[in-house]
Parts: sequence; C-alpha cells; structure tokens
Amino acid sequence: MYTLGVDIGSTTSKCVILEDGKKVIASSIVTAGTGTNGPDKSRKEVLEKSGLKQDDLNYVVVTGYGRSTYTYADAEISELTCHALGVQHVFPDARTIIDIGGQDAKVLSLNEKGRMVNFLMNDKCAAGTGRFLDVMARILQLDIGDLEVKAAAAKHPVKISSTCTVFAESEVISQLAAGVELNDLVAGICSSVASRVASLAKRIGIREKVCMSGGVARNGGVRNAMSKELGVEIFYSPSAQLMGALGAALAAYNKVN
Amino acid sequence: MDVLNKLLAEFHDIAENPDKQLQSYLSEGKKVVLCAPVYTPEEIVHSMGIVPMGAWGADIEIKEAKKYFPAFICSIMQSILELGITGKYKGVSAILIPSLCDSLKCLGQNWKYAVKDIPFIPMTYPQNRASEAGKKFTRAGYERVIKDLEKATGASFSEESLWNSIRVYNTHNAAMRKLSDLLVEYPQINASQRSDIFKSAYFMKKEEHTELVNKFVRALRESSKGKDKKIKIVTSGILADSRNLLNILDDNNMQVVGDDIADESRQYRVDTDTKSEKSSLDALSAKFSDMGNCSVLYDADKKRADYIVNLAKNTGANGVIIFMTKFCDPEEFDCVFVRKALDSADIPSTVIEVDRQMANYEQAKTAIQTFKEMLS
Amino acid sequence: MAEEKKKKKRRVLDPNSAAYKLNQIVVNHYKGVQEAKDRGEKIGWCASNFPQEIFQTMGIKVCYPENQAAAIAARGAGERLCSEAESEGYSNDICAYARISLAYTKLKDVKEQNMPQPDFLLCCNNICNCMIKWYESIAKKLNIPLILIDIPFNPDYEVSDAQVAYIKSQFIDAIKQLEKITGKKWDDDKFKEVMKVSNRTSRAWLEATSYTKYQPSPLNGFDLLNHMAVAVCARGTVEAAEAFETLVKEYKKAVKEGTSTFHADEKYRIMFEGIACWPYLRVTSRGLKSRGINMVATIYADAFGFLYDDFDGLVKAYCRVPNAINLELARDKRVALAKKTGAEGLLVHTNRSCKLWSGFMYEMSRQIGKECDIPVASFDGDQADPRNFSEAQYETRVQGLTEIMEANKGDK
Repeated sequence: MYTLGVDIGSTTSKCVILEDGKKVIASSIVTAGTGTNGPDKSRKEVLEKSGLKQDDLNYVVVTGYGRSTYTYADAEISELTCHALGVQHVFPDARTIIDIGGQDAKVLSLNEKGRMVNFLMNDKCAAGTGRFLDVMARILQLDIGDLEVKAAAAKHPVKISSTCTVFAESEVISQLAAGVELNDLVAGICSSVASRVASLAKRIGIREKVCMSGGVARNGGVRNAMSKELGVEIFYSPSAQLMGALGAALAAYNKVN
Repeated sequence: MDVLNKLLAEFHDIAENPDKQLQSYLSEGKKVVLCAPVYTPEEIVHSMGIVPMGAWGADIEIKEAKKYFPAFICSIMQSILELGITGKYKGVSAILIPSLCDSLKCLGQNWKYAVKDIPFIPMTYPQNRASEAGKKFTRAGYERVIKDLEKATGASFSEESLWNSIRVYNTHNAAMRKLSDLLVEYPQINASQRSDIFKSAYFMKKEEHTELVNKFVRALRESSKGKDKKIKIVTSGILADSRNLLNILDDNNMQVVGDDIADESRQYRVDTDTKSEKSSLDALSAKFSDMGNCSVLYDADKKRADYIVNLAKNTGANGVIIFMTKFCDPEEFDCVFVRKALDSADIPSTVIEVDRQMANYEQAKTAIQTFKEMLS
Repeated sequence: MAEEKKKKKRRVLDPNSAAYKLNQIVVNHYKGVQEAKDRGEKIGWCASNFPQEIFQTMGIKVCYPENQAAAIAARGAGERLCSEAESEGYSNDICAYARISLAYTKLKDVKEQNMPQPDFLLCCNNICNCMIKWYESIAKKLNIPLILIDIPFNPDYEVSDAQVAYIKSQFIDAIKQLEKITGKKWDDDKFKEVMKVSNRTSRAWLEATSYTKYQPSPLNGFDLLNHMAVAVCARGTVEAAEAFETLVKEYKKAVKEGTSTFHADEKYRIMFEGIACWPYLRVTSRGLKSRGINMVATIYADAFGFLYDDFDGLVKAYCRVPNAINLELARDKRVALAKKTGAEGLLVHTNRSCKLWSGFMYEMSRQIGKECDIPVASFDGDQADPRNFSEAQYETRVQGLTEIMEANKGDK
C-alpha cells in the first residue's frame, strides 16, 4: 500500500511516498512553494524516484500553507497535525515539537499516546521565524547555510534583543557598524530566534523529548541556542524539512486502514 | 424553510449594511446616537426617542486614525476613529463612549479633535459598582449623559419613558438568551448566520429586532432539528464577527453553542430589576451593579473563568475558542486564568489572535483546523 | 537608578546632602517593610498614586511594585522577568511593570530588588485601569484581599461633586477593610498630622522641581526621575519633607554659585514627556547630555505636589494626577511648565507599556508644540521591557530635534 504526503509551504514544496505506513521509499523537495508549479514538480519528481504512477497511490493527503488550493489530494490536514505525526514516526518519545518555518513558528504538545493535546503559534509581533534569519543573512551577505558554522565559532555572542524585526535589523546594523565580529553577530541572531520561540515553548510547557522540526531545525546555531535556553537536549532529524510531508503520508495511511 | 431563509437574509442585510440603516432612520427624521463598546446606557438613549446604534468599528485599513493612535492601541478603537474621521458616521448626533478601559479613555479624548462635528458624550462608570456609593456614581454618570444628550439632540428625558425602554430592553435580552439556547439544537444555522442575528441588533431599534428574532424563533421551531453532528464550540473574546473567521469555523464543521463575546451574549445576561426601585434611573443604575463576568468589570475573584467553564459544560461544548483581540490588555490578563480554569476542567481551548486589520487569515485557518483535528 | 547608585558608591556621600538622605529613605523604606513582615505584621503592595495618607495614618507598611519594577529594569533584569511572565501565558503586550511584578510573585527572590510578598493589595486606578487587571491577577494568584479605590478618569476639567462623594465613600470603606485585615486602627488626629506632613513634603517637592526654571538649570533634569521614588514611597514622612527641603537649599546655593548637577554646557532646554526608559537610563541621558540638552520640564515636577486643606481637597488632589485628567487639563499643565521653564523643544517617549499615556499623546503634544511654539519629536521605548527600544532610532530622533532647536535659535 502506497500513500503520498504533500506539504506545500510558502517557499518550498515537499513530497513523501510511504510504503505500508512504515517505509519512506521516495521523497522530494522543490524550492518553489504555493502558487507556483512547485507542488506539481515535487509530485512528479517523487513519483519518478519511486517508480510508481499516480494510480498506484492508495491515498493522498495534502498539508501546509497551500493545501486548500491543491486538487490532487483526497484530504487536507493542518501542518501541525502532520508535523506531530511525522516527528513521532522518527522519535516515538517526542512530547514537545518545535517547528520554526519560513513564516511562522509553532510549538506542539503531545501526550504519552503521541496525540497532540495543545499547540501554540507565534504572535504577530515576533521576530522568531525563518524569515528573520533570511533577512539577517542578507544584511550580513551570507548564505543561510553559513550561519551554523559562523555561530559555532563565536567567542562573545552579542545580544539582539528587540521584539520588533525592524528594530532588530537596526540593532544588527549598529553592531556591524561598531565593528563587532561577524561570528558573534551571527550567534546573536540565532539566539534571538531561539529565544523568541523558546518563550512560546515555555508557555505551553516543556516535556521531553523535545524535537525540532521544519527548515530551521537544520540550523545548529538556532538548535544549540534553543537547547541552552530551554535546558534540555534538542532532537531533530536531518530530514526535518520533510516531517510535514511524512506526517501527511502517515495520515493518508491511517485514513485507509 | 423559506421563511427561515428570508429572515436570515434580512438579518444578514442589516448586519452588513449599518449605513443603510442609519440613512433610513435619519430620513425618517429620527436622531441617532452612536454607542461605543463595551457597555453604555442604551436604554436612556432609546427612552429619549433617539435611535442608539452600536459603533464597534469595522474591518478596514487604518490610515487617518494613525495620526492619533500609536500602533499598539487595539484596532477596534482605531477603526471607530477611522470611520469617524472619514465621515462614515455623518448625520449622527453624538457618540457615547464609556471609560471602561484605558484605550476607550483615549478614544474619547482623541475624538474631540479628530471628529469635531460629532459631539463626544462620556459615560464614566464606577469599578466599585456594587456599593451604594457606586450605584449613586453610576446614576450621576447617567444624569450627565442625559444632559449631554438633551444638548446634542434637543430631545428630553422622562422617568416614565425610561421605564418603557427598560422593559423593551429586558424583553430583547430575554429574546436573545432564548435564541442562543435554541440555536444549540439547530446546527444547520451556521456561525455566520448566528453572528448576523447578533450583529444586526446594533443597527435597529431593539423592539424591531426583538420582533424579527421572535419570528425567527417561531420559524426555527417549525423546522426540523439539524441532524449534522458538528463540533460544539463556545467562543470568548471581544468580537467574533469577521466574515472570514466565521467561514473558517463553518468550513471546519464547528457550531457555536454559546458565547462569551462582548458584543454578543455579554450584553444580554443581566436584566434591569423593574420591581425594587422607585425611580427608573435608579433601577438602571442598579443593573450595572449586578453586571460582571467581563474583562472590563472589576472582579478580584475572577469569577469569569468559572463562568466560561460552566458555559462550556452547560452547552455540551467540545472546546472553547478564545478570539483574542490584539492589544486588548483586559482580555490578555483574563486569558491566563480562563485557560487555567478550562485546563483544570479538562475542556480543550485555543487562542486565536484577531484584529480588525487582518488581511491574512492563514494562521487562524491553520489553528482552527488543528483545533478541530485535536478534538476529533 | 543603578548607574546613579554606582556613582554614589564610589564617592562617599555627605550624610547631610540631599542625595544621601533621599537614598537612605529608599533603603529604609524597603528595610522597614521587610522588618514589619518579619515581625508578623500584615504588609501590602500598593499602587503609586494610592492615597498614602490612609496607611500612613494607620501605621501600616506597604511597598510599591512599580518602584520595584523600575529598579529591576534599571538594574538589567527587565527582560528576564518579562520572559518569565510570558512563559506563564501573560502577553508581551501587557505593561512591563505588571509582567515584572507578576513574575516576582512566582520567583520570590530577585536580587536586583527584593521586597516581601504581600498580605493584601492596595490598588488605585487614577494611574490607569491596567493597574486593576494587574492587581486582580496578583490577588487571585496569591489568594489575598484586594482593596480598590476607584478614581475614574475625569473627562471634565473640574472634579465633580459626584466624583468626590464616590471616592470619599471608598476611602472610608478602605479604612474599614484595612482595620479588619491588619488589626490597626484609624486615628483622626494622626490623620491630621499625616496630612500636614504630606503637604509639607509636596510643597518642598514642588519648590525643588521648580528650580529648573533657572537658566542654566542648577540640576540635571534626569535627577528628578530618581528622586521621584521618594515622592512615591515616603510622602507622608518627615524624613522625606526634610530631604526635599535639603534639596531646595542645595539648588538655591547652586543658583547663587552658578553650579549644576548637569555636567555639561546647557545649550538646549527641553520638556521630556513620559516615564523614564529605565533599562536605558544611561543611553537616553547620554543622548541628551552629549548634545548639551537638559531636561527642565517634566510632568513629574507637578505630579507629586499633592496640596490640600481638607479631606475634600485631598480627594480632589488624587483626582488630578497626570493620567486621570482630560487632554485639555493635561495639556494646560504641561504648557504652563514648558513656558515657566523656557523649554525650547518637546521630546516624547512613546512608551509601549503604557497605552493610557501614549493613547492621546500624539494630539496633545501637537497642541503643546503649537501653543508653546516649540518643535516636537518622539521616540519608541518602554518603561521596563528592554526589547522595545532602539538606540539608533533614539539618536536619530534626538538629533533631528536638536537641529530644529538649533535653527530656531539662529532665527531668534
């Protein structure tokens, strides 16, 4: 039995094909999100990789920002539910999931049975999303991928404390102008994102295992800062970006079984 | 069914077109006075032959009001001022604004300079409202409102007329309570339609609205109870009237079985006692003493938290959605205790941030959908 | 506050100086309330504009969460405590003083400024309604009695008889409740004493703060932001009266000798509107001093001058605190201050934590600027949450104001 999970984000489209609700036989990430041909490209890519045809799929679930306009799915489910399912599949002991995406941040709380019992999404005025990292990286003329290495090399991380992103940008620029070490600045930026989201997490209550999901989970600078802020080990999967699609594929499997 | 749909269409039309209502009353030669959130002595306005109309703002872009309000004042205040500045309230004789929260105080002060052609009438309510001294102070506030209304409209006040209006409002309160209870058994009436019925009350004379509501209740009773099993929700917050938000509730198969919304059921919980006081003005003052369970009504015991828990239990709700108006600090303070009480009672709840300038409902959509998935 | 304290520790303060006396009063205030608690007395947390005559007369000790929050913020722990409150679910939109205070009820030990946990609360909303929600939350959290004297926002210029009657009756109720809670008794003669002393302190405060009218001013206006703590917490004591009288003497001397605690050349004189940015006292002060800008007018100069001849007068005085009066009265008070002190510009702190103070400030400051014919600039900040301020923005705005004042000087 094959099920397909499609996660259409604001900037990326992800697909996962699951065999019998257990094994991932193919996945795809395309850097084009909702409103583009990204979802379609991703779907075609994952089918090709798996060697299957659309008709071989028993059920398709779509999730993410662009889920309501996607026509190839049998059902749509929110990305929170899907991230919970996806992370749980990889870390059965996961009880708190922190998902920092491009546009927003979410914290999910699961019970012993792995069922989501509470969730929180970021307030509008929070500088704690992937977007913030993108903006800062651009100001510092770095690639997003460089942030982790630079943060790790920091000797005296600076503090970027503004709640407002506009003010935070101004803080970063002032620090640059003052000649602060780039590494220290990057570490500060990562800490700033971690701190914003950590406060969301504290509101819901931290229960271990704590796992990070979503694109930003791959950024060790943010992960380490988060771990420090919360005082717990943070788990994540190298396929963190695929957790939503994985969860959707699992949900699809649950629908037909 | 046809009668029902006709009435729903009528409620909808009134709710969506307050301006049409305003023009209609003005063309009849009636005077209209705006009543700002959260509570005002509408009965007094009504008793003087003036039509009270609710001014709770609108879902519009804020431009002119930014000259007066910094960004962190709630969008209800901002949009009320915006509507005033841009002439949308032209023709009304005055605006009645209570000082129940810090931002309302600011609305009143700014109004004097931002909308010079519509007089501002302050209503100063006591927070220590239950004591004799509190009642007296409420009465003093009402007397001042009467004086200002007389000046602004030329109308005059009489104790006898106020008794009549009190009865009209008590009747309306009862009708709205009955309606809210009845709707629990008719899930086919969706969230948008329920909202229309409540919202339209602000743009009509209360006796006219009561008549419509009674017609609706009769028609509803004649139709069969809905068979759809929807997810039962209690809503809480200042406002929940955004069409986009209500559509999301409907899309997620949710039914509003009760509400703790400021411009909905909070207005109809307490009637004026028509037996204990000799003077109608004293009776109306006493009504305010009896009010509570609201973020702008002082209560050191925070009974509101338990009130919401009981509301959820009594209506058989599966969960509570708190529509948090951004920048509303009274609600923000209460939210902590409300959620704690709901958690203790094992009633699931979630908070959705809303404001009148929302262009993007994606986060609300995801959160409400997730909440539904959690409850299923 | 922290910076001032550090400076004072380095040089030995003359025990006869106002600075020493004022500092001692604050130290003793915190010490006194802790000792009372240790003795088993019931102590309260009190709102800054609550009629202190009540508990002063009854010999009841209180301390002030607002003062505590300001100190905690000035000493760098504002963010830590705000975050603590936020993790409990309190929105970051809520006043930072409230967040810090609520966090303190949980943490109970904050080295930046400790004070004993309350047995009861004294709330007065003449400063804002947010205060009511804040104190409601503490009362519910700690399960302790809350006494509220509701002093409603007055939409009129004058205080009405109805308002006076309402407040008087709450005053009486408050006394009864306090007698029940603490076992201490009201004494009319003691009350007369306390009213006399309070008036004396207020007169001294008003006189001291009026010295900024001299050109150049014998004091750095920012000093008043520190001295204010005493005006809040010890108004009804002889020590406070004497300390402010000492301050008057020092200012008198300074005027005669041509000295000042503003250690720079006074090039421009401004009115500073709003609460201090406690987490950034040094930065905001330096931004002004480095340009030769001295604050000579602040509503605080007026705010703690509670003068009255009788009980009615006392009630009216508490109705006229800065945040309980309408735009016209608030504006007129400031216009009078600005004109008296020759303010050449108005710098407005748009305080993210204070909706009431900021909510009609745009219009009010326009009117003040027009009436006094002075330029107005504003900056975004926060009384206690350090995350709502941008040094770059502050510098830019102050620079802009300076350039206009400079140009205006050129024209004159």
